[in-house]
Amino acid sequence: MMNEYLHLISSSINDTIASLRYFQSEATLVLGFLLVVLSDLFLSKRFSQLSFGLTIGVVLIVMVQSFAFLNVENIPLFGGMVIMDHLSILFKILFCLVSLLFVLFIRYNRSLLLHEKGTGDLYAILLAVHLGMNLMAMSANLLMVFMALEMVSLGSYLMVGYISHDQKQSEASMKYALFGAVCSAIMLYGISLLYGFTGSLYLNDPTFISGLNNIPPMALGVSLTMVLVGVAFKLSVVPLHFWTPDVYEGAPTPVTAFLSTAPKLAGFALLIKFIVLINALDHTFLDIKLIVASIAIASMVLGNFAAIWQNNIKRMLAYSSIGHTGFMFMALFVAPGQGYTALIFYMFIYVIMNMAAFLIVDEIEEQTGKQNLEDYRGLGRQFSVLMVCFVFVLVSLTGLPPTVGFTAKFLVFSTALDAYNSSGSLIILVMIILGAISTLVSLFYYFKIPLNAYLKESISSDVRIANTAKAYLSMFLAFLLLLLLVFPSLIQQFL
Amino acid sequence: MIQFVLSLFIYLKFNSSAFAAGINKESQYQLLEKLPWIRLNLGNIGNLEIDYFLGIDGLSMPFLILSALVTFVATLASWEIKTKLKAYFSLFLLLNTAVIGVFCALDFFLFYIFYELMLLPLYFLIGMWGGIRREYAAIKFFLYTLFGSVFMLLVIIGLYFSVINPATGNHTFNMILMMDPANYADGSIFSAIAAKNLFGISARLLAFIVLFVAFAIKVPIVPLHTWLPDAHVEAPTPVSIILAGLLLKVGGYGIIRVCYSIFPDSAMLSAWWIGLIGVISIIYGALNALAQTDLKRLIAYSSISHMGFVLLGIASSTTEGVSGAMLQMISHGGLSAMLFFLVGMIYERVKDREIANFSGLAEIMPQFTAFVIIAFFASLGLPGFSAFMAEAFTLIGAFTSEQVNGLIPRWMSVVAAIGILLSAAYFLWTLQRMFFGQPRLKGAADWLSKLSDVNAREKLALIPLVALALALGIFPSLLFDKMNASVLAFVQLISG
Repeated sequence: MMNEYLHLISSSINDTIASLRYFQSEATLVLGFLLVVLSDLFLSKRFSQLSFGLTIGVVLIVMVQSFAFLNVENIPLFGGMVIMDHLSILFKILFCLVSLLFVLFIRYNRSLLLHEKGTGDLYAILLAVHLGMNLMAMSANLLMVFMALEMVSLGSYLMVGYISHDQKQSEASMKYALFGAVCSAIMLYGISLLYGFTGSLYLNDPTFISGLNNIPPMALGVSLTMVLVGVAFKLSVVPLHFWTPDVYEGAPTPVTAFLSTAPKLAGFALLIKFIVLINALDHTFLDIKLIVASIAIASMVLGNFAAIWQNNIKRMLAYSSIGHTGFMFMALFVAPGQGYTALIFYMFIYVIMNMAAFLIVDEIEEQTGKQNLEDYRGLGRQFSVLMVCFVFVLVSLTGLPPTVGFTAKFLVFSTALDAYNSSGSLIILVMIILGAISTLVSLFYYFKIPLNAYLKESISSDVRIANTAKAYLSMFLAFLLLLLLVFPSLIQQFL
Repeated sequence: MIQFVLSLFIYLKFNSSAFAAGINKESQYQLLEKLPWIRLNLGNIGNLEIDYFLGIDGLSMPFLILSALVTFVATLASWEIKTKLKAYFSLFLLLNTAVIGVFCALDFFLFYIFYELMLLPLYFLIGMWGGIRREYAAIKFFLYTLFGSVFMLLVIIGLYFSVINPATGNHTFNMILMMDPANYADGSIFSAIAAKNLFGISARLLAFIVLFVAFAIKVPIVPLHTWLPDAHVEAPTPVSIILAGLLLKVGGYGIIRVCYSIFPDSAMLSAWWIGLIGVISIIYGALNALAQTDLKRLIAYSSISHMGFVLLGIASSTTEGVSGAMLQMISHGGLSAMLFFLVGMIYERVKDREIANFSGLAEIMPQFTAFVIIAFFASLGLPGFSAFMAEAFTLIGAFTSEQVNGLIPRWMSVVAAIGILLSAAYFLWTLQRMFFGQPRLKGAADWLSKLSDVNAREKLALIPLVALALALGIFPSLLFDKMNASVLAFVQLISG
């Protein structure tokens, strides 16, 4: 019995060894994870910033290693469990950017630093989550998809509840964990159904696709929807967005900034895989265009309109991130034969502006304890330069010149309009028009911040507050938003 | 100041021969500057081609001079701003850059960036240094304008995908290339030949309407004008000057440069409606001005009325009409700047501008009254001042339109003439109420001591404006000569 498979062992070992060469960045992450854990255990007393330094180093190395494979064409690794291509590398670089900013964010966040647990574990969790996201971006096998997704989810649950000391934060982490667990379970069920129908787990396997074509449309629809529920949870799009505002408000601000960017991007990486898969099927029953467009419309409308009524800034940014996700859905409509250039560009910009927004909100909260819109009155005087940067970030989030947010929005609009031109389906046009309207709506709530900071009379003292390292970081990001408008090629050359 | 001198230099250097007509031929623009800016490879839709492309012709040159003059006056008016000077002047200069940029940009993408760039500084200028209801006014202004421009963006993208640069084979944002129907790709959404429909209306007509609404909000036309009185009243004096003197002209300029030049066929179809909107604006603005009790609000409504002439002139699509509209924009730019400056002077002194609270100012401030009389008479179209020439040409254009191209019926110009009568009524009535009669002030002796006459700085600002109004009134050819070639080319483009 065993002997039948003996000859396979050597070939699969060879394949694994050959794959390792391309797996450098993930290997680095694993090593880094272990190093950070160990150093935090044994050396944190003597060198308090060691785990910070290590993590930064690891992320930078991963970034360089990812860049090295920038222009690869489909390379299947580990017997096709993961596939490395240009798109996944771009995603990996994006994750590095987020992680980098997140590490710096943690480093300068006082509430996390002063917490008795210390930040060492958080860095370790981050590296694990990063590994999970990398795998998510590359996975080509449903089992791998699930594993990677769970890796990200578990890490995120820990992060959200990291310093929970009051009820609100415990509620947030509990809600997140419960919601996430249910969605994962549904996804797993969907995966098992798909496996039962087709006998294969490989997404690009011909038997998998032909198997899917042979099952009744209703069953296919149900099982695919179940799988997509897990992805949609990560993306926090309507109708799976309920957890977002509470979790974003309750979690520590750096974690919120992280959650509203990185897992979302990873979710997009997965979603693209599934869209490619569904497009490859012969079924006319499942109109993926209609589904994606309706999700985009629902998210944009709900996210942006709900944000108007928010008073807590973090909550407002949470709803606006739902709106942004909806907007990014628009970039999924690409005319056949095109890459996801606009989407990736938008994501780069979104990472920068979202991180900058949360950095500034956090800075203000730490310095003054202000979290609500009305409390922002007169802050324009207290944080002169920082507030100006905040305005630029908000302008960029709205998508107006003179910031690169405009260029990004513009690219998404042109992609969608081009998709409309080539397909002529009405739903895309409706989506584009609603996208334009939601931009208008978003201006309304984003500008409540400068409205309060500059236009309303100050109720607090006029004492200027000195800038900290975090403030300088956010200023740098805001400056990037202006710089990239003039030189978008800094990003575009890699796409 | 430096800018003013520079703009005079441009004026003198400007070549007014027929070879410099501009409009739709790139080689005929002057002071060109073209740099490739964003080149993004987008797979099978080809390369994204966005240029840093500036240039001026006879239609934009007058606006550059006007911008320089109005900015100069506004700077002098900024003397009264005492708080947060650094922020104020940086925003002010940013606004100035954006306005000049809009008038020069020939790449639609660049045009849009400058167009939107105007909003931000204005929002803060109104919001931070404005009056009591400034927050409301600032956000209202912002939302109104953005409403128009977001949809304009969609049209811009649509145009981009329809137009192909014959030289490179790529899609392009070049406005000049957009004006030539031959450059449209076969079967593209805005191609004139393909005649595609969106929501049951011709796509080109729909795009024209969207663009027209975007610019008409700026002009503003009557159903979309409600932001203007609020913004004007709450804005500080220099910002009101810029708003009335320049930003309203951006709307008119946009209609000429973008709406009409790129979609001439749809413009012809909707000429009747545009003329009607113009006439309604004239009458409605004037009637509202009659009913105002606040001097600044009165002037704001008079702006709406006067900008109606611009629309009427453009709608007539005759050489006289378009020249008149151009002249009206320049003349109104100078005059409204002057009027707002004068209101600002009173407001600075006593912090009040209710018409009923003043009477007999002529005895207290004789020089001030003289300037007001000049400004009022010039605005109501007394012969010898620029507004008269402008309105006369506009009306001639609108009147002859019926027999030249049959776009505008005669009754419209007749009704518009009644608008002039109404404007005479409200200006003269105000003059009588505030400046003549027995001196009587609400603040009594306290106000009397504060109401000093015009000082040297204010004279320095007012005299160039008076000079402009007189010069254009007596020698309109100063302007007509420079832009005639362009206007002719424009009329030919849209009617041919």
